[in-house]
Amino acid sequence: MTRAALPALASSAPAAPALRSVQCTINGEPVAFGVAPFRTLLDALRHELGLTGTKKGCDVGDCGACTVLVDGAPVNACLMLAVEAGGRVIETVEGLAGPSGELHPLQRNFMRCGAAQCGFCTPGILMMSKALLAENPSPTEAEIRFGLAGNICRCTGYTKIVEAVALTAAEAAGGAAGDTSAAGRPRAARPAPGKGTR
Amino acid sequence: MTAVLPGNALDAKLDIVGTSVRRNDVAEKVSGSARYTADLRLPGTLFARVKRSTVAHAHIRRIDTRRALALPGVKAVLTHEDVPRVLHYGSPMPRAASCTKDQYILDRKVRYWGEAVAAVAAVSEEVAEEALALIDVEYDELPVMTSTDAAEAPGAVQIHGDREDAPPGNLVVPPIRVSRGDVERGFAEADLVVEGEYEGGRPTPAYMEPNACLCHWDEHGKLTVHISTQTAFMVRGAMAEVLGLPLNQVRVQVDHFGGGFGAKQDLFQSEFLCALLARQTRRPVMMEWTRKETFLGGRSRHPVKVWLKQGFRRDGTITARQARLVYNSGAYGSHGPGVTAVGTTSLTSLYRCENVLLEGRCVYTNAPIAGAYRGYGVVQAYYALDIQMDEAAEKLGLDPAALKLKNAVREGDIAPSGHPIVGHGLEDCIRRGMQEVGWSAEPRPRSRPPKQAPQGPLRFGWGMGCEMHGSSAYPGIKEQGNALVKIHEDGTATLYTGTAGLGTGAHTALAQIVAEELGLEFEAVSVVHGDTDVVPWDIGAFASHTTYMGGMAAKLAAAEARRQLLQRAADKLEAAAGDLEVRAGVVRVAGTDRAITVRDAMLPGRGLPSPHIVGQGTYTPTKSYSFAAHFVEVQVDTETGQVDVLQVVPVHEVGRVVHPVAAQGQVEGGVQQGIGHTLTENHEIDPVTGRSLNASFVDYKMPLAMDMPPIRTILLETAPDPGGPWGAKGIGEDPIIAIGPAIANAIHDAIGVRFRHYPITPEQVLQGLREAKGEGSAA
Amino acid sequence: MIRFDYADPATLAEARALLLAQGNAASLMAGGTDLLVEIKEQVRVPRLVVDLKRIAGLDTLQVDADGALRFGALVTARRLETDARVRARWPGLHQAVTELGSIQVRHRATVVGNICRASPSADTLPPLIADGAMLHVHGAGGDRPVAMEDFFTGPGRTVLRPGEIVLQLRVPPPARRSGRVYIKHGRRKAMELATVGVAAAVTLDDGGRIADARIALGAVAPTPIRARRAEAALVGEKPGDSLFARAAELAMEESRPIGNVRASAAYRREMVGVLTRRAVQRACGMALAEERP
Repeated sequence: MTRAALPALASSAPAAPALRSVQCTINGEPVAFGVAPFRTLLDALRHELGLTGTKKGCDVGDCGACTVLVDGAPVNACLMLAVEAGGRVIETVEGLAGPSGELHPLQRNFMRCGAAQCGFCTPGILMMSKALLAENPSPTEAEIRFGLAGNICRCTGYTKIVEAVALTAAEAAGGAAGDTSAAGRPRAARPAPGKGTR
Repeated sequence: MTAVLPGNALDAKLDIVGTSVRRNDVAEKVSGSARYTADLRLPGTLFARVKRSTVAHAHIRRIDTRRALALPGVKAVLTHEDVPRVLHYGSPMPRAASCTKDQYILDRKVRYWGEAVAAVAAVSEEVAEEALALIDVEYDELPVMTSTDAAEAPGAVQIHGDREDAPPGNLVVPPIRVSRGDVERGFAEADLVVEGEYEGGRPTPAYMEPNACLCHWDEHGKLTVHISTQTAFMVRGAMAEVLGLPLNQVRVQVDHFGGGFGAKQDLFQSEFLCALLARQTRRPVMMEWTRKETFLGGRSRHPVKVWLKQGFRRDGTITARQARLVYNSGAYGSHGPGVTAVGTTSLTSLYRCENVLLEGRCVYTNAPIAGAYRGYGVVQAYYALDIQMDEAAEKLGLDPAALKLKNAVREGDIAPSGHPIVGHGLEDCIRRGMQEVGWSAEPRPRSRPPKQAPQGPLRFGWGMGCEMHGSSAYPGIKEQGNALVKIHEDGTATLYTGTAGLGTGAHTALAQIVAEELGLEFEAVSVVHGDTDVVPWDIGAFASHTTYMGGMAAKLAAAEARRQLLQRAADKLEAAAGDLEVRAGVVRVAGTDRAITVRDAMLPGRGLPSPHIVGQGTYTPTKSYSFAAHFVEVQVDTETGQVDVLQVVPVHEVGRVVHPVAAQGQVEGGVQQGIGHTLTENHEIDPVTGRSLNASFVDYKMPLAMDMPPIRTILLETAPDPGGPWGAKGIGEDPIIAIGPAIANAIHDAIGVRFRHYPITPEQVLQGLREAKGEGSAA
Repeated sequence: MIRFDYADPATLAEARALLLAQGNAASLMAGGTDLLVEIKEQVRVPRLVVDLKRIAGLDTLQVDADGALRFGALVTARRLETDARVRARWPGLHQAVTELGSIQVRHRATVVGNICRASPSADTLPPLIADGAMLHVHGAGGDRPVAMEDFFTGPGRTVLRPGEIVLQLRVPPPARRSGRVYIKHGRRKAMELATVGVAAAVTLDDGGRIADARIALGAVAPTPIRARRAEAALVGEKPGDSLFARAAELAMEESRPIGNVRASAAYRREMVGVLTRRAVQRACGMALAEERP
């Protein structure tokens, strides 16, 4: 069906599709809401559910600002329909902190390392980092950068983001805890020659 | 030259300024509670979308909105027939030299592909989007000119011909001309003359937060605008002027802001449309741009063609410099005049030259609008200048770093602003960088750091590039920063600053300055910003002037509050105010142990009123210059043409570092954008139709985490400027200017091919290698 | 976003019935990472989206007794990416899925979806063609096998008839002494649509000569193609630099790239040569080095 058909859709279309009921778990809480079938999970989170922490940077899966965890897997919420979330366990940035507001180590280290400037990409990067560390608790710098390949940041150049993730991994492994000196922070390693050969 | 103000010692030992304190605006960002404009929710909000033209230059013969209005859920539709016809500055700085008054809210004509032709407000974004397709537009097309050559050709259609005051030849403003000394004599004295043409493409800022605006009116006819902008007071002024409202009936609020890099200084038509839709429907209206719209309707860097010629003596001294710069403004002027002026005049400096003749032109075309973007015309000019210095070095048999060091501006030289340069910041940067990477100053066969040996098709090289940039827009604009500091009855303080927060950490820096000046702990100072009803007037955040100007205003306000505080403390301590010092929240009689906490000094006695301590600061800056030298190692794959940056050592001289981590963050982010500009980023416009070819992140390629090299930032404080708080100068724009030529020069070191444009694509690298071997083009 | 309706049938029969009833107005969805983008960009404007994810039996991933890899329509790129057997035995396919989009996309995108979208630059197509994969198509007349290389008819077009659904893929077991490589060319290291993609699968005989060679090219023709003349030049020969160069030349001649904003036709053709040479060289190297368990 081509673009030219779109006006016909509006004038002869049936009434707008009926709302669907969706039940899922969001940040540990059971949630039920009604939503149009064409609504993305991103729009449902931000509008129907009032969780505006997850951001819309491009709406087509190119920037990662809308990254949330679905059953533990990092996905772009803009590329999922809200109705697909039924029965799933969803985690957003609002759920990262502990029940009494204790910061997640990633949140604490992002603050410590200067990993957030304008902050718009930050929720998506935090969720992606959480998933990354859950799967690979001791990533190398290259693995961190690979893991964050789907998240665009335009302010930081990624340097301090990578530092913050590496520091979080190191602390969890029992290293560098509390050491915020330059010596304690993982240094970006100089890449071996030949990097980028295809 | 700004005199050193009292209490602004450049060599002061400071407690809070200079430390990477915990920023005061990040907790909400990592928790997700930070509200950006599109996160705001008001009951009854309608959603607006803009219909954009699908031709680049045309009269609108007919526009019919009846089908759109009939769609259930659509509440209002506006075309040029429905909105006030008031010519305004797209870039909202009335009475300033930087900007052009050439836009209507909606015109009967479109001048670029993607220009707004109508706006819809509906109950949902989906309905609004469907309504766009139901608006019928018929165009009478006009010739499309996307290049400045086409627009300047004799007989070319005038894009703004209907304006009486538009200069002929599709110029935005009359050409900028700068002349110093005698270039003819200078060239005559030269042993070597180097001449070249350099070209800059169309990178765009691609901030992560798409433009957004939420407008609502109250029962008294007061308009509130929530908007992602760098210039809240400018938005207020423009909205008031165009909509015919008194200023006290317009309130502009900016909460959190997701990046702008200069490009969110303008008005984009959407704000007016949003306000008008809200007025007509009597409901709040939210307009969020799509990512595609940020490309079509946003602001890019000005593409440029630079012709540059310099004369050199055998020993490397520059004897003459002549240049013509032609900036492509796109369909409207926006910051064209400012960019052209700043870019052109920047060529009077960086490398010393007594004999200079420059001409800068800014030309309308039917391309998307170019505007203010980090580096503001200087990226373009210094790309050409610094690469040509490398070319000259090669021809003279001199090391490029040595040549640049020899000619680097120094204390007392006249800067582009007309002021003398303070200190030797540029030389300091070059020397320090050379030391850091092992680049020798002696003229040996090879003075640069050792190149890695070729590995298969890979070649390696080192390059360096320099820049200087002003921490204000003076003299093009006479800026002003204003601040109020209140000390509360418990000894804590609040800074009310008009300065916008762009996400750089500026408000943290201002709080540090206030805390330092007042003698309080950092945590005792809070910052109020982002509401034109509450904070003092400020011109907005741009031109790298937040720390320099906003910081100085805050310091002056704090100093005045401190004076009042010490008066009060003096009474309680029964001492002379002049004998008191305050530090870390304690007021002490100097040289004694008679002290009182600030809290106790402030606390009103029983039954007595709270003290009213308010300090006001106003600062109209001139200019200070920051400097940088970037040293870069690259790798070139000679089979695919792919260039990878392996490491960057950026050295920046900034007078006084207020917050080291935030300063590094500016450098690292600027390097990312600069690597993108130089190698992979270009908003491509079809030259025949004017259509955008890559308005998305899949095809507009910015460096990602895997593409970024290690960055070893070095910050120097060797040339503090008395015009800034304890000598502090700006840093925001500098990194993006120096990195480009450094990469181009490094590529030349690696493969012996000289590129004089950006972006440098892999295909062009292969073509350059073929030509160097004398093989001509690929089949 | 246009306003479409949504159905998630529980059986294949229901899904097919919906597709046949709606005709062009219905679109199938598995991972949705291509479909939702197409809808948002108004390339596709369905009235109904039919979600396959409730249908049982489509998400298996296994290695059969004969050593073949079989995976269903709902198996995501990420599952293949993280499977050690796939990494070890089908490294070309593995490399392709690793470079598809981002991790976030790969957790949703299915390989079968990537195939059915039939973009000429899709990453999974060249290695699956080089590996000789077969699609299992379910339709009106029953089920039929379709070879990967016969599946595509044009950009975004396949041999699927209305109502047909691809259920699974079978990738033959890797031969002894073989190497499989996929190289994707792009301007950045991630989040790329391939400007050129080259997959090579090479098998050596006991004498060290090339017994079988399959070279598949992506993004340089309206569909992914096999570079048959390049393959023919390799068979029977011993690996060596001049042989690789000759194969690369032939592959270049066989490619018919277009120019667009991502790359010019001339550059794409040149990269076919560079990447074919590198891919065949690496595949031969892998074949020489491997020890089959």
